[in-house]
Amino acid sequence: MKRSLQAVALTVAAASAFGLSAGKSYSAGKAVEADPAAKVEYSGTLSVLTKFGLQQLSPYFIDLAKEYEKLHPGVKVELIQESDDSVKGKTKTLVASNSLTDVYFSWTGSWGGNFVRGNRAVDLSKVIGPDTDWGKSLVPAAVQAFQYNGKYYGIPLYLDAKFMGYNKQIFSKLGLSAPANFEQLLSSCDTIKKAGIEPISLGNKEAWPVVHFIGQLLAYDVPRETLERDFNPKTAKFDDPGYVEALAQFKELADRCTNGATMNGESYASALQAFSNGKSAMYYQEIIEFDQSAGPDSALKQADFGFFVLPVPAGAKGDPKAVEGAPEGYMINTASKNIPLAIDFMKFVTSKEHGQVLSAPPYGQPSATVGGASEANMSPALVDGLKVLKSASYLMPWLDTANSPRVAAAWLSSLQALSGGSMSPEQVMDQVKEAAVADAKK
Amino acid sequence: MTKLSAIRPLRPASRMNVWAVISKTFLHAFLICLGIVVIYPLIWMALNGFKNNAQIFGNPFALPIGWSWANYVQAWNQGVRDYVSVSLLVTVASGLCTVLVSAWTAFGLTRTKMPAKPLVVGFVLGGLMLSPTVAVIPLVRMMQALGLYNTYWALIILYTAFRVPFSTFLIRAYMLDLSRDLDEAAVMDGASEGQIFWRITLPLCRPIVVSCVILHVLFAWNEYLFAMIFSSGVGAQTLPVGLTSIMATHGTNYAEVFAAMTISALPIVIVFFAAQRYFIRGLSDGIGK
Amino acid sequence: MAVTGVNSGAVTYGAATGQGASGTPRSRLRNLLSFRWVAVAVILIGWFVYYPIVDNFIVSTTDQDIFTGEVSDVGLANYDRLLHDPVVWTSLWNNSLYAVISIVFQVFGAFLLAAIIEGLGSERLRRFWRAIYFVPSAISITVTGLLFYFIYQPEIGLLDAALRSVGLDALVKPWLGDPKTAIYAIIAMSQWQGFGYSTLLFAIAIQKIPRELYDAAIIDGAGPSRRLWSITFPLTREMTGLMIIITITGAFQVFNEVMVMTAGGPNNSSQVLGTWLYQQGFIENNFGYGAAIAGVIFVVTMVTGIAQLLYTRRRRVQF
Repeated sequence: MKRSLQAVALTVAAASAFGLSAGKSYSAGKAVEADPAAKVEYSGTLSVLTKFGLQQLSPYFIDLAKEYEKLHPGVKVELIQESDDSVKGKTKTLVASNSLTDVYFSWTGSWGGNFVRGNRAVDLSKVIGPDTDWGKSLVPAAVQAFQYNGKYYGIPLYLDAKFMGYNKQIFSKLGLSAPANFEQLLSSCDTIKKAGIEPISLGNKEAWPVVHFIGQLLAYDVPRETLERDFNPKTAKFDDPGYVEALAQFKELADRCTNGATMNGESYASALQAFSNGKSAMYYQEIIEFDQSAGPDSALKQADFGFFVLPVPAGAKGDPKAVEGAPEGYMINTASKNIPLAIDFMKFVTSKEHGQVLSAPPYGQPSATVGGASEANMSPALVDGLKVLKSASYLMPWLDTANSPRVAAAWLSSLQALSGGSMSPEQVMDQVKEAAVADAKK
Repeated sequence: MTKLSAIRPLRPASRMNVWAVISKTFLHAFLICLGIVVIYPLIWMALNGFKNNAQIFGNPFALPIGWSWANYVQAWNQGVRDYVSVSLLVTVASGLCTVLVSAWTAFGLTRTKMPAKPLVVGFVLGGLMLSPTVAVIPLVRMMQALGLYNTYWALIILYTAFRVPFSTFLIRAYMLDLSRDLDEAAVMDGASEGQIFWRITLPLCRPIVVSCVILHVLFAWNEYLFAMIFSSGVGAQTLPVGLTSIMATHGTNYAEVFAAMTISALPIVIVFFAAQRYFIRGLSDGIGK
Repeated sequence: MAVTGVNSGAVTYGAATGQGASGTPRSRLRNLLSFRWVAVAVILIGWFVYYPIVDNFIVSTTDQDIFTGEVSDVGLANYDRLLHDPVVWTSLWNNSLYAVISIVFQVFGAFLLAAIIEGLGSERLRRFWRAIYFVPSAISITVTGLLFYFIYQPEIGLLDAALRSVGLDALVKPWLGDPKTAIYAIIAMSQWQGFGYSTLLFAIAIQKIPRELYDAAIIDGAGPSRRLWSITFPLTREMTGLMIIITITGAFQVFNEVMVMTAGGPNNSSQVLGTWLYQQGFIENNFGYGAAIAGVIFVVTMVTGIAQLLYTRRRRVQF
C-alpha cells in the first residue's frame, strides 16, 4: 500500500517537471485587416456562431445557409446556434480553446471590445466603413456602434431596444392609458392588481431581466458621462447617488407591479408566456420579442399589443430621452482560413432582401440594413418602436455586456438578491464597487 | 445470490399477533407511498409530453386530453435524433475501449511477472481518486492542441481515460479470485500469454465484464461536464447537453421538452430492466464475500 | 449524487492472492515485455488524468486573459482570493450540506429501506421494490434535474400544486427562486434520484449475511428491531463505512444538477464548488482562479480518497 502511494507521488512529481512550460503556452492572434480587393474563393467550410438558437428564430440562418450553399456549391456552412443565455458561455469556451468560429455573434460595448483587444476580430474598416458600399447599405449608427479605436470591427444585423409592452384590452377595461411618468405607472399597477391581474410579469431566473430594468433607470438617473466613465474598468467609481436611487425605484416597482420575490424562480420565457396568454398586463421586453408576444397563435392579438418606453421618474438627473438598446451583430475571426468568404457570406446575410425577411414576422428582428426594416412587411408595433429608437438621444448599452465580466457578474447576482429582498440598494452598490476595485487592480 | 430466497431476516417465525399485522400493513403502506413518490414524477413527465401548452399551464394532475404523439415526433426530429446517435456512438466506442483496456491491464497486473507491479497498480488505481472537475480547465487547451476539440474523439478518449481505473479495479479483483488451473494447463500446452488472455481469462471474466459495460453505459450516457465543454453544435452534442439546449431554445414550448426528456430517459431504463440480473450479480460479486 | 460516485468504490474484495514476482535472469526480457499489457492504460491515465491535474496547479498560479492569451504569474494570489471570496465559503457549505444530507438518506435511510425490503416474505416483491426504487438512478441527472426544475416551478409545478390541494398554501413558494430553499430543493432531488442505488447495494450486502445468524437470534427470542441492530447493522458496517466515504467524495464533485436547475443562483446561494469553478473559468474569464477552486476540490477528494484506501486496508481488503 505504501509503495502504491509512493508511486502516485513520484508520478505526479515527474509529470509536473515536464508540464511546467505546457501550462502557459498558448497564443493569441495578430491584428488582421480585411482587404476589399481580395478575391473570394468559394470553397471549404464556413463556421458561424449565431444567437438565433431559439426555436422560432433558428430557421433564419438555416435557410440562409442552404441558399448560400446552393449559390456556391463548393461551400459548406456549419452553424452553431445558441440561445441568449448559452451564447456567452459557449463563446468563451470556444475562445479559450482557440476554436472560435469563422463568423461569430457579438454585442457592442466591452463584450465586442474583448475580441478587438485580443486580436480576434478582423478590422473591417476598408469593407464596412461609412464610405464603403457595404457601409452605406447599413444604418450608420449601427455601424458606428461597433467602432473601437477609430476602426470598424462589427457587422450589425439588427437593432434592439427595451420597451414595456402592454395589453391594451386590459388597460382600457380598467380605464387606464399608457403612463406618462413613473409614478403613474406605479399607480396603474395598483389598479391592475386590485382587478386580480398580474401587472408586470417578470421572470428573473436568468438574472439579466432585472438588469435590463436597472439599465434603463440608470440612463434616467445617472448623467451619461458618469455612466460611460464607469463602464471603463480603469476609471470606474460607481459613486453617483443616482445608482442607489435607480435601484430604490426598481424595488418599488417590483413591490407594487410584480409578484415580488417569486420572480427569481421564474424564467423570462414563462413571464413572456404569461403576457402573451393575456394573464399579465405588461411585460418588459426587447423589440425583437414583440412578434413573440403577439402573434397569430397567441391569446394576445397584435391589435391589442401596445408599448411605451419605461416612464421617467420625477427628478431624474440623467437623460430622460435615453433608450436602453443597441444593435447586435457579427464579427469575423482573425484566425479564419477564408476571411473573404466570411465577408461575402455576411454581405449575403445583410442584403436588403434578407433584411426584409428578418424584420417581418415570425422573426421580427428590425434589420440594420437600410431598407431592410421596411414598414410594408413589419408588424406595426415594430415600426413604431423603430421610430422611438431613432428619436432617442442616447442608446444605453446593456449593463451586463457593457461592463467587464466581473462587474457584470456582481450586477447580475446582487440584483437577484435585491429582487429577492435579501439586499438593500446600498449593499448592491457595495458589491458592484468591490468588483470594480478588484478589476482595476488587474 | 443463490441464497437470496432463503433470507427473511425480519419475518417473525411465529406469533402473528395484532401488532405484527399492524406494523406489516404500515411497512407495506410506506413502501407503496415511497414507490409513488419515485414513479409518479416520471409518469407526469411522460404524460406532459402528450399535452399542449395550455394544458401544461392548467391543472398539473390532469390527464392529457388527447394521446397525440406530435410532441414526441417533433422532439425526435428537432435534434433528439442527432443527440441520441452521438450519445450512442460515444457510449459504445468508449465502452468498448474502456473494457478492453481495463481487461488488458487487469490481466497484466494479475497474470504476468511484471517488474515494479505495485507501482503500476498504484498508478492505475490512484486514478480513482482524481476527479474530472479538477482536470477540466487544462483539458480545454490540451484538446484544442491535439485538434480534438469538438470531435467525438475528445469524449471517447476522456471517458475511457477516466473510467479505466475503476473498471480495472473491478476486473482485477475478479481475476485475482479466478482459479489458475486452466492457465497453468494452457502454459503446459505451450499457449502464449495472448492466447491465454483471449481464450481463457477473458471468457471466464464475462460476468464482471458485462457489469463493467453496464456501469460504463450508465456513466457515459449521462455524463454532462465534459460533454458540455468539449462539444458544440448539433451533430457533436450528446443527449444530456442536447437536452439543456432544447430547454434553452424552446422558450415555453414545454410539452416538447417533456417529450424529449422522456425519449432520452427510456433507453437506459429499458437497458437496466433487460440486464438487471447481470447488473446485480456483477455488483454482488464486486462487494465481496 | 452521481451514480458513478457510488460505483467508484462500492466494491471491495477479500483476500488477494498476490503472486510472488520471481525474476530469474532467463525470463527477464519476458517480464519486461509484460508491460505491454498495461502500457495503453498507463499512457491514457498519465496523459489525460494525471497530467491535467498537475497542469491545473500551474494554471492556478497564473492570471490568464483568454481573449489576448496573455498569461502572467501571480504566485499564490488566486489562493489568497479564495480565502476572501464569500461565494467559496457558500459553496463549501453547500457541498457539506450535500454530503451530510446524502449520508442521512442515501446511507442510513437506504440501509433501513434495504432491511425492510429484504424482510419481505416474497422474493418477487423484494425484486419489484428494488427495481422500482432504482429507476431514477438509471435516468440521467440532466433529465431528473430538468424534471425537478419543472416540479418546483410555481406555475406548472407538481409540488406547489400538491401543497395547495392539501391546504398547505402557506408553504407554497418558488423553491428554486428563493435563496433559502434553492440548495435544499436541489439536494432533495438528488436524494430522490440516488437512494435507490444505495438501497440496492445494501440489499445485496444484507443478502450475504448467513441466514443461520437470524435463525439463532429468533430462537433466542430477538424481535425484528433487535435483529436489525445486533445482526444486520454490524455485519454491513463495512459497506456503510465505504458508502459514507463515497457519498462525501460525490458530494464535493456535484455539478450537473446544480447547473441544470439553478446554475448557482439566485444570488449565488446554491453555488457549489463545481459550478463556481465553471462560472469563474468559463463565464468570468478567470481561468487561473477557476483552477484554484479546482485545487480545493482536488484536496477534498484526495483526502476522502486516501481515507477510503486506509479504510479498506484496515478492513483487510487490499489492492
